[in-house]
Parts: sequence; structure tokens; C-alpha cells
Amino acid sequence: MLLKLSWKNIWRSKLRSLVVIGSIAMGIWAMIFGNAFMNGFIVSYMANTINHDISHIQVHHPDFKRDQEIKFSVSDGNQKAVQIRSWQGVKGAATRTLVTGMVSSPRKASGVQIRGIDIENEAVVTRLDSLIGEGDYFEGISRNPVVIGSKLAENLQVSVKSKVVLTFNDVNGTLTQISCRIAGIIKSSNLSLGESYVFMRQDDLARQLGIEGEIHEIAVLLESQVDPETIVSRFQSEYPGDLVETWQEIAPQLAYLQDIYGNMLYVLMGIILTALVFGIINTMLMAVLERMKELGMLMAVGMTKIRVFLMIMIETIYLGIVGAPVGLLFGWATVSYLNSKGVDLTAYSEGLEAFGYDSILYPYVADEVYLIVTIGVFITAFVGAIYPALKAIRLKPVEALHKI
Amino acid sequence: MSIIKATDITKTYNATAVPVHALNGINLEIEKGEFTAIVGPSGCGKTTLLNILGGLDHPTTGEVTLAGTNITTMQDGKLIDFRLKNIGFVFQAYNLIPVLTTQENVEFIMLLQKRPKQERDARALELLTQMGIADKAGQRPSQLSGGQQQRVAVARALASKPQFILADEPTANLDSHSTSSLLDIMAKMNKEEGATFVFSTHDQRVIDKARRMITLEDGQIISDEKR
Repeated sequence: MLLKLSWKNIWRSKLRSLVVIGSIAMGIWAMIFGNAFMNGFIVSYMANTINHDISHIQVHHPDFKRDQEIKFSVSDGNQKAVQIRSWQGVKGAATRTLVTGMVSSPRKASGVQIRGIDIENEAVVTRLDSLIGEGDYFEGISRNPVVIGSKLAENLQVSVKSKVVLTFNDVNGTLTQISCRIAGIIKSSNLSLGESYVFMRQDDLARQLGIEGEIHEIAVLLESQVDPETIVSRFQSEYPGDLVETWQEIAPQLAYLQDIYGNMLYVLMGIILTALVFGIINTMLMAVLERMKELGMLMAVGMTKIRVFLMIMIETIYLGIVGAPVGLLFGWATVSYLNSKGVDLTAYSEGLEAFGYDSILYPYVADEVYLIVTIGVFITAFVGAIYPALKAIRLKPVEALHKI
Repeated sequence: MSIIKATDITKTYNATAVPVHALNGINLEIEKGEFTAIVGPSGCGKTTLLNILGGLDHPTTGEVTLAGTNITTMQDGKLIDFRLKNIGFVFQAYNLIPVLTTQENVEFIMLLQKRPKQERDARALELLTQMGIADKAGQRPSQLSGGQQQRVAVARALASKPQFILADEPTANLDSHSTSSLLDIMAKMNKEEGATFVFSTHDQRVIDKARRMITLEDGQIISDEKR
């Protein structure tokens, strides 16, 4: 009875109910879209960093990260990398020889990390080859080809085939200089790739360092559904002496960023739902006040207060039941469309790239967000209905019946 | 045996600085099956008395006993339940539920009483037929005339076969034809269903139809005439 009566009651004032339903739908859409937009930024930033820079897992000598001394190489690193590549869930594993040094052009110099890479496996793990904007991926230069980022090239005022000199200490601490030519220039919004690294062939670097066959880092890229912790556990059980870290440990700022953006959903929900709750209170209060006489009659003829209370609550929940699917559908449709097409923010690309963001944004929403938002809206409807429902049951039939 | 008994009822409103004595020592007994009109000029306390007899309002002093139950000290929840089971109300402004059809309005109190659907449907159609508005069963109150709406209100009041029907100025908004027709129906129901009717009214046509007339003035009964 209450369900039927409440349903009919919400259509007494179609316009008013449609306004509330519209507000609920719009609120849900805004929450989903807002979350998708923020996710687009964070997913793009994280994917960029993980897929093109740090990877999901890194393996080092336990002492390497402290001082980055080149003597602390991963024992049997190349063999371990071969093993890891065969593990289920592993997309690729690239070995790197690392040294901190300086790159200088005839005009300028800059401090960098020089990365000696296994160019084939690096292409699998970081898709470095796909990021080459000018020149080629270690091709076209026969002796000591290097790849650098566009920002670094700009700082050094060099271009493809320009000569640069790398300066670093070898394994004995002897200051070493090698002359290189730029084979390719990376175009990426990733800040480290853009200005902090110089990539060269692993053999070229290792030879100069005096540590041929040794590596300092294994970067492991996983299939998207694989939990990095499972691979870390396996590695630790098979090779207990090495330092194995997940991307959250390697770049804790990324994990914090993910947390912050995750919490932003709740902040956004809080703001929108607070506005919505006042709208619902206002509407339901009007609905109660304009039918005080009828409510008085209902209580006079024997409708209990709990039934009157429930009737008002159900009416409000109905508004949510009608509004929520509309908002969810529009939210899903908007996000799906923009996710497939991308949001072109090239007008702001300079500012975005300065922070490491791509200028094409792909909004994305996790499935559970739809559920969280729906629950949030129903809690809001429930909370918004309480005051009007209490107002209704506080009516005295004899007074309500004589209201004009 | 009296089915309604009011003893030393007073009602004082203190809404303003000066207390208003709406009822002053009302003593009243109404027998089962009576067709009683409470009459008097505006402000004499008719509606207040009816509200108190129906358990919608509490007297300042005195007590009301309905079918042997003292409702004066009853808690709100029990009083609502008592009203649901024993009292039918007819209001001056009909007070039908606008979103329900005529039949649904008539069935409403039976629904609250959780009567089976078959019984509800049969009783509602029986009453609507007796009221001469069976053809309006599927229509909403807004599609009915004032007289038809009040007939629905009477049918609703009678639907659950209550012991008493309390009607506050039931004909105040009706034209003479509708009033006459409604009074005939209520008299017939009183006779056929044995329900006790108590009206507040200052409509002479209702007064003429009543078999007992209680006249109020300044919150007191000044005459009680049985015909």
C-alpha cells in the first residue's frame, strides 16, 4: 500500500519531482564525470611513469640505491632477467647499467643519469623506441649513439646527429669522457625522460665503466592484471639477496598521488551530495507542507505515524530510484565516449607537460565508483527525507485538518 | 446502553493571553444506532466536541468513553489504532486522497486494517453502488463533483463497518440536491448498517433529518431533543 501510494504521491507535482530527479541525475553525472576526469589525469600520469620510466618492479643490489655506486651491480643480473622474462604475468624485463654523470654540448652542460640499456628489451619494457620524436632509435650512428629527451636537447641546444660528451667516473673512480652522437630525441610528457636521462647501448657504457657484463637494474613490466607483490614474492624466494621493489616503493609520490585522487572522489561526492541533500529537504518539506491537511486526515482515520514516516521516506527513495539510473547512464555514456575519443587539451599542453601530464586526456571510471556513487545518493536521499518525515509525523491531526 | 459517553468535558485553549473556553462541562450519552445532529451557531464548540468524541483532540478535563473504552487517557499509538478500528470520519472538505481512484479511496481504511483484497473490492463496490457512484470507481476525486466526492468520503467512512461515524459539517460545501441525496444515503446506511451517526452542522436540512438534535451554545448543551 505504502509503495503504491508513495509512487503516486511523487507524481502529484510532476515538475517539482522532475527537478529533484534531474538534480539527482545531474549530481551523479557530475560525480562520475569529475571522477573520470581526475582519473584520466592520474591514470595517464601513472601509466606514463610506469610504462615509460620506472616499470612495475625494479631489482637492484641492496646497496646500490644508497650511493648509486657502480660497483654495486646485481649479481648474475642478465641471467636473472632471462629467467624473469619466462615467468607468467611478466611482459618484459630489461637490464640497465647506470651511472650518474654529466652531458655537455659545445654550448651547455647538464647533470644526468646515463642509462646503458639493452635496446631490444628496453623497447619491450618502456617502449622507448615508440617515443622517438626525431631521429631513430639507436640507428644511423655507428659509434656511441645516444638517445636523449627533447627538453635536454633544448637545454643543450643540440639536435639529431649533434655531438655530445659524457663525463663520469668509471669503476676505479677515474674520470672518463666519451664522445657520442645523438641518434634520436625522445618526445614525452614524462619529466625524467625529457631532461634527466641519456640512453646509450649497455655494452658501450659498461665497457667505458669497466664492468662489462654487469648490470645495476632490472626493470620488469607486468601484465595489467598481475599484482606486483606476487612477482616480488617469487623473486625474493628465488633470489633472496637482491633488493626488489614495486612501483609504489620506487616512486612513493605516485602511490600518494593515487591515494589523493582516490580521496578526491569522496571530496567531490561530499560537495555535490551536500548540495543535493538540501535540495531534497526543500522539496520534500514542500511536499509535506502542502498536504498537511491530507496527512492530518491520514492520521485521523488511523494511519500510524510510522507508516506516515515511511511513506515520506519511500517517496524520497523513489526520487533517487528514478534519478540514479538516469545519472548513471549519462555518466557512463559520457565517460565511455570521451574515453574512446579522448579529451583534447592541447591548448593547455605546455602547462600540462610541465607537470608530466599528457595533453590528450582519457577519462576513466573504475566500476566500483558507480556503486559508491549510487550508495552515496541513496544515503543522501535517506538523510534528506528524515527531517520532512519527522515534520509530517509531528503534525497533530486536529490541527492539520484545519490548515488551509 | 450508551455507546458514546462524555462526562464533564471542558476544553480551554490558551493560545492567546486570554484563555478561550470552547467547551464548558459537556455531559452527553449517545445510544447505538442513533442519527444525531450537534447544532449551534459558529464558534459554539461543535467541531471541538466532535474532535474530542473522535479522539482527535484531548479534553482539558473530563473523559470520553467509546464502546466502553475510556479514550481520554489512551496513548497516541493506541488511540490511532482505536480510531482505525472503531470510528469513521467524514470531513467538511471531503479530504479524499487525490492520487487514488474512488475505489482506492473507499478501500483505503480497509487497506490500513490489512483486510484481504477480495473483501476490500467487494465492500468498496457494494458501497459505491449504494451511493450511486459505482460507475465512478476508476475515477480520481478531481473528476467528481462535490456531492460525489462527499459520497465517496461517506463510503470510505463506512467501508470498515465502524461503530460510529463522526461527520463534521458534511454538507457545508454541497448544493441542496447533493445535500438531500447524501442525507438520504446516510440515513439509509444508518438503518441498514446500524452505524451510529453524529454530525456537527448548522444546515437545517441535516437538522430536519436527524432523529436527535443536541444544541450547543457557548460550549454548553442548552437543549437535547429526541424526535
